[in-house]
Amino acid sequence: MSCHVVHERQAERPRTLTLRAHPLRVALVGQPNVGKSVVFGRLTGRYVTVSNYPGTTVAITKGRALVGAEVCDLIDTPGVNALEGTISEDERITRDVLQSADADVVVQVADARNLRRALMLTGQVAAFAKPMVLVLNMIDEAFARGISIDVAALEAELQIPIVEMVAVEGRGLPELRDALARAARPHVPAHPSASDRAVWAHHLTERVRRVSTLSLAYVQEALARATRRPVTGLPILAVVLYALYLFVGVFGAQTLVKLLEDGVFGGYVNPASVWLADRFIPVPFIRDFLVGQYGLITMGLTYSIAIVLPVVATFFLIFGFLEDSGYIPRLAIFCDRIFRAMGLNGKAVLPMVLGLGCDTMATMTTRILGTPKERLIAILLLALGIPCSAQLATIMGILGGISFTALATLFAVVLGQMFIVGWLAARVLQGERSDFILELPPIRWPRLGNLLTKTRLRVWWYLGEAVPLFLVGTALLFVLDRIGALVWISAAGRPVVTGLLGLPASTSQILVMGFLRRDYGAAGLFQLAHSGQLSGVQAVVALTVMTLFVPCVANFLMMVRERGLKTGLVILGVITPVAIFTGAGLNYVLRAFGVQF
Amino acid sequence: MSSVHLAFSSDRRPVSALREGTRGVVVEVRAHAEGRTDRLLALGVTPGASIIVLQTFPGIVLLCDQTELAIERQVADAIFVRSQESRS
Repeated sequence: MSCHVVHERQAERPRTLTLRAHPLRVALVGQPNVGKSVVFGRLTGRYVTVSNYPGTTVAITKGRALVGAEVCDLIDTPGVNALEGTISEDERITRDVLQSADADVVVQVADARNLRRALMLTGQVAAFAKPMVLVLNMIDEAFARGISIDVAALEAELQIPIVEMVAVEGRGLPELRDALARAARPHVPAHPSASDRAVWAHHLTERVRRVSTLSLAYVQEALARATRRPVTGLPILAVVLYALYLFVGVFGAQTLVKLLEDGVFGGYVNPASVWLADRFIPVPFIRDFLVGQYGLITMGLTYSIAIVLPVVATFFLIFGFLEDSGYIPRLAIFCDRIFRAMGLNGKAVLPMVLGLGCDTMATMTTRILGTPKERLIAILLLALGIPCSAQLATIMGILGGISFTALATLFAVVLGQMFIVGWLAARVLQGERSDFILELPPIRWPRLGNLLTKTRLRVWWYLGEAVPLFLVGTALLFVLDRIGALVWISAAGRPVVTGLLGLPASTSQILVMGFLRRDYGAAGLFQLAHSGQLSGVQAVVALTVMTLFVPCVANFLMMVRERGLKTGLVILGVITPVAIFTGAGLNYVLRAFGVQF
Repeated sequence: MSSVHLAFSSDRRPVSALREGTRGVVVEVRAHAEGRTDRLLALGVTPGASIIVLQTFPGIVLLCDQTELAIERQVADAIFVRSQESRS
C-alpha cells in the first residue's frame, strides 16, 4: 500500500520545474568492482579511491553534482552482491542507505559483462520502491569479450532508463545526467524467493544478451590465467616481490633517501636552518627546539621528509599499480590454506596486503570479511605483524643496508609470530570462519591518470597524517629531554631494553616513541644505525620488536571505533608482551648461535 | 525446474569432482546453514548457470557465466552440475 501512495505522489509532481526542500539525493549502488566510485568521481569531481578489486569502498562518500540546472547530492556506497539474506557489514551499510530517506533516486551501476548478476541485484533494489536508472558500465570490455546487449529490449522490459557507459573515459555521462530526470520505478515481477529471482534474471539475460565465442581480450585472459596457476603464479609472485624490493627497498629507501637525507637535508636544509637560528634566534632554548638534537627541523622534518617520505611515495606508486591491475585478489588462491589455519580464509589477503599501505585503512577494510571472528583475527594480525609503508621504509632502509639475510630473518620471525598468534586466536576465540568464495577481477592495464592521482592523494594524506605526529613526537622528546625524563626512561627501560633485548640503553626512548607511531620509532633506529651505534643483530632485534608493536595511535583508535574500547585494549595487552618476548627470544637465539649479519 | 533436475540426475556431479576444463550447467546448490547458498546465489551460481572449471589446484577456480570465482573444496562439494567433458 505505502508503495502505491509514493507512486501517486510522484505522478502529481510536475516534471520540469522541481522545487525541493533539499537537493535531489542520488545513491549509486551496484556489485563490487563495477566502477561506482569512477562514476561518482566523474559526476562530482571528487576523487574516491578507485582500484581493481572488490571492496575498495567500505564506507559511504557524499558529493555534489550539477545535473542540468539542478544540484544533486550523490552518495557512493560500498559494493553489494546481495541486499537480503546473509550479507556482510559493508553490504549492510548500502542497504541502510536504500532503506532510509537519504536516497530519492537510485542509480544502479553494473558491469555490462555480468548482466545476469546485475539483474538479480536490480530485482532486489526494486523492492525498495525508488525510481532508478541502470548503468551498463565497461561496455567496451563487454564488447571486446564478444558480448552484446539489446538495450532497447531491456529498457522495454524493466521500464527504466538504461545507459551504456565507459566511465573511466567519461563516455555515457551526459546520457546518465539526462536519464536521471526520467528515473522510474522498475517493472520487476514480485519474486517470493531469491532463487525465483535468479531464474527471472537468467531468462531475461538470455533474451537480451548475445555472447559470441570470439574474445578480443586474449592478452588479459592469458595474464589472468598465468597469475592464478601455481606453476606460473608463484614465479610471478617472486618477480613482483623482487621488483617491489628493488623499487622501494633499493631505489626509494637507499638512493632517494641518501639524496634527501645527506644531500638536501644534510647539505642544505639543516646547515642553513642552523645558520639562520644561530644568527637570528638569541634564546638557546628556542634554538635547540628548532635545530638541536631533538629539533623540529633537524629531527622531526628530517625523519618524516628525508627518511620516510621517499619510501612511502615509491611504495604507494607500485602498490597502486598492483591494486589497479587486479593482481592482489589472485594471491588469495595461494594463501587460502595458510589463512584457514589461522581461522580466516583466502579473502583475508586483501586487508593484509592493504595493511602494507596503511594498517589503519586496512583495519576498516576488514568489513569485507564474513564473520566477526574473522574480522577480529584480521584486525589483531594487522596490528601485530603487518608493517605499514612508512615502517617498511625504515626497515628496508636499515636492513637493506646490512644484508639480505637480516631482512629475511626479520620477515621470517614476524610472519612466524603472526602465524602462531593467528593459530592460537583461531582456537581461543568463539565463532566460525566463513567459506572461501572470492570473485577474481579481470586483469587490466592500470590507467596512468588514476595511478598518479591515487599516489598523489596518498602522499598528501601521509604528509597530513604523519608529519604532524612526527613533529609532536619530536617536541615531546625535546621536553622529556629538558626535564631530564629521558635519562629516567632509559634507566627504567634498561632491564628490558639492555637486559632482555640486548640493545643500547638509548634505544629505550626510541621504543617509547615507537608507541606513538612505530615508523617514528623506526626512523630513530635508522639514525642510530646510520651513526654506527647498532650492530646487525641489534638492528634486527630492535626492528622486530618495533614491527610487532601496535602501528600507531591512529590504528589503535580505528580498532576501538570498529570493535570497541575493550577489544582495543585487549589487543594492545596481547601485542605488547608478544612483541617484547619475541624480541627477547630472537636476541637470545641469535646470540647463542653467534649469528652475525 | 524440478523436471530439469530429475532428467539429468544420473550424471550430476559436484564441482569438486570435476577435472580442469570441464563445462557444465549448475543443477543444484546444496543448502548449508551459514548462508553459503545465499552467497553463491548472489555471485550468480544458481541452477541454470553454465560453468567452466578453470583450475583445481591449489584452490578451485571456476568461470560462472562471466564471473571468475575462487572457491574452497568444501564449497565446491555443495555445487552440483550436469557436466560435459571438455573435448578440446
